[in-house]
Amino acid sequence: MGPRVEIAPSDPLLTYLQSAPGPVELASLELDSVAVRDLRKAGVALVVPLISQGELIGTLNLGSRLSEQEYSTDDRRLLASLATQAAPAVRVAELVLERAGEIQARERLEQEMRVATLIQQQFLPHELPKLPDWQVAAYYGPARAVGGDFYDFIELPDGRIGIVVGDVTDKGVPAALIMARTQSVLRGEAPRLVAPGEVLRRANEILLPEMPARMFVTCLYLVLEPATGRVVYANAGHLPPYVRTVDGVVELRATGMPLGLLPGMAYEEKEAIIDTRQSVLLYSDGVVEAHGPEGDMFGFPRLRELMAHERPSSELLNHLLEQLHEFVGRGWDQEDDITLVALQRTGGGEYALLAEPDPAGAEAVDRQVLLSLSLPGEPGNERTAMTRVAEAVAPLGLPTARLERLKTAVSEAAMNAIEYGSRNDPAVPVQIEVWVASGDLLVSIADRGLSGPMGDPEQPDLEAKLAGEQKPRGWGLFLIKHMVDAMEVATEGAAQIVTLTLHLQGADDASQPV
Amino acid sequence: MTTTTTIEVRRLSPSASSIIIHGDITSGTEPALMDACAQASDDATRSIVLDFSDLAYLNSGGIGLLVTLLVRVQRQGQRLLAFGLSEHYRQIFELTRLDDAIGIHDSEAAALVAAGA
Repeated sequence: MGPRVEIAPSDPLLTYLQSAPGPVELASLELDSVAVRDLRKAGVALVVPLISQGELIGTLNLGSRLSEQEYSTDDRRLLASLATQAAPAVRVAELVLERAGEIQARERLEQEMRVATLIQQQFLPHELPKLPDWQVAAYYGPARAVGGDFYDFIELPDGRIGIVVGDVTDKGVPAALIMARTQSVLRGEAPRLVAPGEVLRRANEILLPEMPARMFVTCLYLVLEPATGRVVYANAGHLPPYVRTVDGVVELRATGMPLGLLPGMAYEEKEAIIDTRQSVLLYSDGVVEAHGPEGDMFGFPRLRELMAHERPSSELLNHLLEQLHEFVGRGWDQEDDITLVALQRTGGGEYALLAEPDPAGAEAVDRQVLLSLSLPGEPGNERTAMTRVAEAVAPLGLPTARLERLKTAVSEAAMNAIEYGSRNDPAVPVQIEVWVASGDLLVSIADRGLSGPMGDPEQPDLEAKLAGEQKPRGWGLFLIKHMVDAMEVATEGAAQIVTLTLHLQGADDASQPV
Repeated sequence: MTTTTTIEVRRLSPSASSIIIHGDITSGTEPALMDACAQASDDATRSIVLDFSDLAYLNSGGIGLLVTLLVRVQRQGQRLLAFGLSEHYRQIFELTRLDDAIGIHDSEAAALVAAGA
C-alpha cells in the first residue's frame, strides 16, 4: 500500500474519472490537477475508477508494473472488469458502515432525549402549593420527549403566590431550551418585582435579544393572595384563563404581546376576586386545538362547558383529560404540548359566609364530588362503572355489605342506561357522578334516553315467572330499589337520570328482604 | 370488557350432579349454563347442586337466567340446590325469593344430605 493521497472534492480529476471509460494512465493525462501531481509523486501509474450506479465511489490506484512494462490492453480490460464488480461491493460496505453509524447516533440521541425529559421534569414544580382554602391541580403533557409548554408556582412575599402558564412557539428541543430560559427569567424577576405587568415587561426585555427569529413565548402570569382570593394578572398573548363564577364561566382578559417579539412592550394589569366555590383554569392551546378523528377541534365551547360544573380541581383536570381522550379517540397522535393548571377556592370567602344560614345553600357548599365519569354505552361497561364507583367511594370506608349493595345497584343502573339509554352503542355515552352531600352518598347515572322514557316496570314475582306468566328477566329496577336507601328517576329532555342515595350515618339496612 | 366464566360439571352420586361456576353469571352465561345442565342430567339424576364458591359477579340478567334454569330443572322433575353463596348474593336470593325455590346450603355435603343423595 502506497502513501495516502487526499483528493480535494473540487479537484478536476474527480470529474474526469466520473466519465472516464475505464482505467486512466496518469503519465499521459493532461489535467491541471493537484491530485494528479500528488498521485504521480506517490508512484501511482494507473487509476481505475470505481463507479456504482453512475456515482464515483472510489479509485483503485496502481503503481507501475513490476516488469516496468506498460499496462497492456488485456490488463486494462481485466482491471476494468474487476472495478465493475468491486464497485457495488465497496458501496454495500460503505452503506453498512453508514447505517451502523446512524444507529449508534440515533441511540445516543434517544439516550440524550431521555435525559432531557428528566431534566425538564426537574424544571417543573415538584409539588403543588398547599394553600389553606384552595385546591390546586396541574397537568403537563408534552407532545414529544420534551415540550415548550411550562407552568410554575412562585413563592412571593406576604404569602402571595405567582402562577405561570406559558407556551413557546414550536415544539421539541428548541422550544424546551427557550422554555427553560423563560422560566428561569420569570423565577428571577417575579419575587423582586411582584406586579405581574412589570414582571412580564421585564421578562420581555431580557428575552428579546436572546430569542431566535420566529420564536416567541406566550405567557399568563397571575398573582394570587390566598387569604382574600384577590388575583392580579397580566397576559403576554396567552389564552385567557376561565373562571367559573355564580354567573357562569367568564374569561380573565388582559392585553399584551407575547414575550420576545418587540421591544418596549407594556402589559395591562387587571384584578379579580375569586370567591368560595369559584374555580380558575389556566391552559395552553394544545387542549383546545387537539383534533378528533374527523379533523374537528376540541375547541373552546367544550372546555368552557367542562368548566361550568363545579368540581374539585383534580377532578376537573381528570374529567377534562377523560373528555379530551374520548374526543380524540384511540391512536391519538398528540400534536402539541398540553398544560393545565386549576385552582379552586374551597372556603374562606364571602359566599360561604352568606350561604351558611341557608340550609339549601349549605348543602350545596358541602357537596364534595368524588367521581365524574363518562363511559361508552357498550355492554360490559356496567362492570367498569361498578369498579370505578367502588374505587371512588373507598375513602368513605363503607361497611362491606353496603359497598356490595351499592356496587350491585350501580352496575344494574349502568346496565339499564347502556341497554336503553345508549342502545348498546359505544358512541352514546353514559355519565356517572358520585358525590357526598349532607351526610349522604349520591350516585347519578345519566343516559341519553335513546329508547324513550321507561314505563313503570312490572313488579317481578318469582311464582309468576316460574309459572311462565312473567318473563324470567326484569329484576334490574327491583334490585336497585332494594340495594340503596333511595332511588330517584328524573328526566332532562330525553335523558334519564337515576340517582341512588346511601345514608352514611345511622344507616338502616336497606337490603333486608321485603 | 370480556369476562371469562368457566362452568364445570361433576357427578356427586348416582342421583346428583354439581355445576361449578367459576366467574360470572349474566344473561351471556346462558348457553354455557344450559349445556352444563344437559351434561349434568341423565335418567338417574334427581338433584342438581350449583356450586357458587367461586362466583365473582351475578347481575339481574344472571338472576333471570337462574329462573330459566329453575323452570327447566323442575320440568325435568329434578331439584335445584345451591351452596357457597357470599353473604351479599345470599341476601339477593332472599330478596328475589329464589331461596324459596332453590335450596341454599352452607356446603356441598349439606346440600347432598338435603337432596337425600
